[in-house]
Amino acid sequence: MEDLKSTLKQQIIDSLNLQGMKPEDIDDNAPLFGEGLGLDSIDSLELMVLMERNYGIKIEDARDGRKVLESVQSMAEYIQANRKL
Amino acid sequence: MKQPIYIKSACAISPQHSFNKEEFGKPWTSADTNLLQAIQPDHSQYISPVAIRRMSKLLKMGISSGMQCVKEAGINEIHGIITGTGQGSTLDMEQFLKDMIRLNEEALNPTYFIQSTNNSVNGWLAMLTKCTAYNQTYVHRGLSFDLALFDAMLMLNETTATKYLLVGGFDNMTDEYYIIKDKIGYWKKDRINSLELLLHNRSAGTIAGEGSAFVTVTNNPEDTMCALHSIELLPDADAAETALTINNILQANNLSPDDIDTIVCGMNGDKDNQLFFDTILADYPNATIAAYKHLCGEYDTASAFGTWVTATIIKNNHVPEELIVKRNVQKKIQNALYCNRTLLNQTTIMLLSNNQ
Repeated sequence: MEDLKSTLKQQIIDSLNLQGMKPEDIDDNAPLFGEGLGLDSIDSLELMVLMERNYGIKIEDARDGRKVLESVQSMAEYIQANRKL
Repeated sequence: MKQPIYIKSACAISPQHSFNKEEFGKPWTSADTNLLQAIQPDHSQYISPVAIRRMSKLLKMGISSGMQCVKEAGINEIHGIITGTGQGSTLDMEQFLKDMIRLNEEALNPTYFIQSTNNSVNGWLAMLTKCTAYNQTYVHRGLSFDLALFDAMLMLNETTATKYLLVGGFDNMTDEYYIIKDKIGYWKKDRINSLELLLHNRSAGTIAGEGSAFVTVTNNPEDTMCALHSIELLPDADAAETALTINNILQANNLSPDDIDTIVCGMNGDKDNQLFFDTILADYPNATIAAYKHLCGEYDTASAFGTWVTATIIKNNHVPEELIVKRNVQKKIQNALYCNRTLLNQTTIMLLSNNQ
């Protein structure tokens, strides 16, 4: 799980071009949107693409997406339970 | 007859040190690769860190030059944003198309698609200036910027209230686009130094460039750089038709060829382009002739840079030596003609004057 979270953080940094940021700068439980990383709606689309491309996961229901994309911790848990790649 | 409009401020990001400078910036930059790339300013002064991280070069250039232009105009409100781009953000479009192939049309990044649309610069400028008024992007190859300026002139002629419009043109050159244009003979076969482009006017082709330039235009003549009296767009005119159009413009403004003291030309080093200008300029033996495409290269909205050059020359009452094709003695730049012509024979004529 720790390896997955570390890999996921690096993928988020690369995918969203978070310049000057390192995986250790992202708290596992900090909210990705709003107060935490301050991501926006376009970033949420990018994160869904990231999950589909790297883990074969398609989030069909927007309500699920909201919960899954809450933090790195919630993303990693969902990926571990549902990954196809 | 249309009333003149006035250029209040002008700003250009180009392969030269033109950004944030009233005079043309030294040192002059050149390239031996037949491709001039724009010098990038510190975009973080104009765009937030959250937004800038996913923006392409074109988007950043367009926003920074547009916002700086509004700042230099010293106005609180703009009443419309009108721009032109020949290609939009080709970098984003190319990346999106490459991803479509690489990923078999699945799981494509939305950002490249969103930003590849031609009006994305306008959208950002509207949000940053909080301008909810008229917002238009013209995409008509080599006449894109010129049409935007023409539209602005028509708009300002429709009202007596003081209005300010932000008008710009922007395009970037990518490796792929350069190669495609090279295959259809756009660029010179020999590698030449860009500052010597106009010495190579006996061969076909030119050099590539890119940039973003904006002007704020108004119907209020107070504290402005120059007046724009007329703009005519000729999609495919020969030299004789163009000369006739210029004569008509001069007559409509009660001027003769002798009244024109400065002509700024979009000479691009191509042999046919040079022949065109040789014919046109023969009617103006007493004017100082200046050129600008050896400084910015050829691209669809090079005319925006040319307009910045012309407005700056008139405001400073000085034509820098590096732009001179032929100098004639003159006391003051009063009436200037601007003439651009692309490799597709799209031609733009403007009549500008010093209104100070």
